[in-house]
Amino acid sequence: MSTLTDTELNLDQLLDRPWVTVVWDDPVNLMTYVTYVFIKLFNFTPERAHELMMQVHNEGRAAVTTGSREEMERDVQRLHEHGLWATLQRDDKI
Amino acid sequence: MSNFSRMGDGFALDLTLDEAHILINLVEQLLELLGDSNFDHHYTNDDPFAQLMGLGAEIATPEDPVLLRLLPNAYADPEASADFRRYTEPTLRRHKSDALRSIRTELALIVDEIGGDESNTGGRVEELDGDVWLVALNDLRLALSVRLNIEADSFEKFELLPDEDPQKAVYAVYFWLGWLQENLLTAMIS
Repeated sequence: MSTLTDTELNLDQLLDRPWVTVVWDDPVNLMTYVTYVFIKLFNFTPERAHELMMQVHNEGRAAVTTGSREEMERDVQRLHEHGLWATLQRDDKI
Repeated sequence: MSNFSRMGDGFALDLTLDEAHILINLVEQLLELLGDSNFDHHYTNDDPFAQLMGLGAEIATPEDPVLLRLLPNAYADPEASADFRRYTEPTLRRHKSDALRSIRTELALIVDEIGGDESNTGGRVEELDGDVWLVALNDLRLALSVRLNIEADSFEKFELLPDEDPQKAVYAVYFWLGWLQENLLTAMIS
């Protein structure tokens, strides 16, 4: 017998919706530091890291990585280790 | 005058005695907040198997706003967040405490070097790990920012505070930490 939660889970799997790691703006982390952390953790080019940092700064948040739930949990954990404010969620763009 | 500079594979830091004391004081306060007594009391699970595996009962969301900023929720959903916290928070706490303990040891070297010599105005430590210092300085700034309610326009407010305001010195330390972190980043990137 399928519960509601199982049904939702299966629907997500059928649609193959990925998970995203979201970094939120805060008034403390230095812009240069956020850029540095993005390059260090995700091997982004300096240009890509700067672009994402500016998106966090100007729009209040940015999706920085996409992948499986396990991968995104690992990314969030590493961002928390570096003091960035990060959460994970289903990609809502799909 | 405090300053980071690159030295071979690592970094050197020059500090005055007062600066070293301020940093050690902040590091120790934050270590206490992250500390063992705080850490242990979450593990109230009586199940011996759970204790054996090091997997405790649910870890409560921190009530102290500083701890909540340093150990934030990973999900908007409280249940998913609690689950994530249960498996990851001990590691995150240890990561932060290790960095703070590491810089405390190096700061103590500066204090020892200067010793009681009044004419010796500053000291230096070398072979520092830039990444460890970046994370530790950042955590100190995050902790102070919660206590000071730092917002985007806080620097302007700080400049307008009268010198006799008791908060002024704390703000000054907060902005000095930001300067120090930026200084280290510049040394690391260049």
